[in-house]
Amino acid sequence: MYPNKTVALSGVSLHINPKEFVTIVGSSGAGKSTLIRLLIKEEVPTSGKIIVGSIDYDTIDKANIPHLRRRIGVVFQDFKLLPNLTVYENVAFALEVSGVKSKEIKRAVPKILQLVGLSEKMHSYPSELSGGEKQRTAIARALVRNPKILIADEPTGNLDPKNSWDIIELLLKINRFGTTVLLTTHNKEIVDALKKRVITINRGRIVKDEKVGKYTL
Amino acid sequence: MTTFGRVWRTGFKNIFRNAWLSSAATAIMVVTILVLTFFAFSTVFVRTQLAQVRSKIDLSLFINDDATQNQIQTLQSKIGTIPNVTSVNFVSKTDALDRLKNSSSEGAKLAQSAQDIGNPLPASFEVKLSNIDNISATNTSIKGLTEASIVTDSSYDNRDDSRKGVVENIIKISNSVSKIGAVLSILFLVISLLIIFNTIRMAIFTRREEVEIMKLVGATKWFIRGPFLVEGALYGILAAIISLAVTIPLTRTISSFLTDKLGAGPTLQYFSSHFLLLSGGMFAVGILIGVISSWLALIRYLKL
Repeated sequence: MYPNKTVALSGVSLHINPKEFVTIVGSSGAGKSTLIRLLIKEEVPTSGKIIVGSIDYDTIDKANIPHLRRRIGVVFQDFKLLPNLTVYENVAFALEVSGVKSKEIKRAVPKILQLVGLSEKMHSYPSELSGGEKQRTAIARALVRNPKILIADEPTGNLDPKNSWDIIELLLKINRFGTTVLLTTHNKEIVDALKKRVITINRGRIVKDEKVGKYTL
Repeated sequence: MTTFGRVWRTGFKNIFRNAWLSSAATAIMVVTILVLTFFAFSTVFVRTQLAQVRSKIDLSLFINDDATQNQIQTLQSKIGTIPNVTSVNFVSKTDALDRLKNSSSEGAKLAQSAQDIGNPLPASFEVKLSNIDNISATNTSIKGLTEASIVTDSSYDNRDDSRKGVVENIIKISNSVSKIGAVLSILFLVISLLIIFNTIRMAIFTRREEVEIMKLVGATKWFIRGPFLVEGALYGILAAIISLAVTIPLTRTISSFLTDKLGAGPTLQYFSSHFLLLSGGMFAVGILIGVISSWLALIRYLKL
C-alpha cells in the first residue's frame, strides 16, 4: 500500500490518498506555491505538521533534505532544465545526483524518454525543443527515479492549448501507472475536463474540496 | 565511487567553461607561489650567508715563543673542552709565515723581511665558536685557565669592533628580510584568496540556476560543492606546475651568477637537495588557497 499524506497549511488540513489525482486551483498568491515548497521542504511551516507517507517532515534534518527530494518528483512551470545538457543528460542528471550507477542510468533514461515520447529528441538541447517537449523532458526527469508522488506546479502555464493537453494526458497516464499526482493550474478548461478531485485555495485557506470538481473562483 | 568520479569530471570541465576567469585565478596564484618561493629562497640565502660569515669569525690566541710543545698541547686540549668551542687549530710560527707569504705579493715581501729578522710572527690558536654572541665569555674562560699563562694576547682583547658590527648588521638584515618576507607573503596569500574567492563566486553566480536545479532534484551539498572544490584545487595544481616551470629554468640560467657573484651556491644546493619539499610546498599552498576560497565562496549558495 502506498502511504497516505497529510498537508497542513494556514491552519487547514488536507489529506490526499495514494494514487489519487488532485488538482489544486487558486489565484496567484493564494498559497499554491507555498504548499509545494513545503512539500519539498524548501520552506518549513511555522506550525503544524507535514507527513508524506510515513515521513514526518519534522524529523528530517537538513542533511536528509536531498534524500526527501529524490522521492518526490517535481515539475515546474519554467521547466528548470539545464541549458547546456541534452534531453538525455538532463534526465540522467537526476539519477547521477542520486549516485545511481552509469549502467543503470543508460538503461533507465531511454525507457522513461520513450514513455514521455521524446526518444527522437534524446540528443537535442533544451533550446532546440518546443515548450511541450521541454515540459515532457522535465516530467521524464521527475519520473526517472520512480517517485511515489509527482508534483506538477502549473506545468501548462507556458504552453499552448495543444501542448497543454499533451502534458495533462501524460500526467493522467502516469497516474494510471500508480503515481499520486498533485497538479496546480490556472487553466479552467483543463480542470473542468479532468473530472478529478479539485481543491480550491484562497488566501492560504482551503475554501473548497470536491471529489469531482470544477474551476470556480 | 561513481559520485566521486562524477564530481571530478564536472570540476575539470568547469575550468574550461570560463577560461578567462580561470586564467586570472591561476595567474594570481602563480604570482603568490613565486613570491613565497622567492622569500623562502632569500631567507635560506641570508641564513647560510650569515652562518658562513659567523664561521669565519673566530678567536685567535697568540702564544709566547717560549712555550713548550707540551704546554701548547695541554692548552689546546683544555680549550677544546670549553662548551662554546667547536674546534681549536694550532698555527705554528712557520705556518703563520707561510700564510703571510701566500696571502698576496705584498705579503710575500713582508714575509721575506720577517724571515730575514728571524720570524717575529707568533704561533697561535684559532678557536672556532659555536655561538659568536658569547665570544666575550669564552675569551674570559680561556684566559682563566691555569695553562693559559703562555697566551700573550687574544684577538678579542685587541678587537676591532667592526667585525662584530658586521655580524650584528647581518643579523638585523636577515631578521628584517624575514619579516618583510612574511608580511608580503601573507599579503599575497590574502590577495590570492580573495581573487580565487571571487572567481569561484562568479562561476557559482553564472551557474546559480544550475545549483538551484541541482538542489531541487535532490543533489546533496557535497555533490554540488565537490566540483567547485575540485576546480579550486586544480587551479592550485596548475599554478604550482607553472611556478615550477618558471622557477627551475630561471634558477638554472642564473645559477652561475648567483653562485659567483652572490655566493648563493650553498642556497642553491639546499634547494636542489630539498626539491621535493619545495615543490610539495608549492602544490600545498596552491591547493590550500584554491580549496579554502572555493569553500568560502560556496557557503552562501549552498543553503538548502
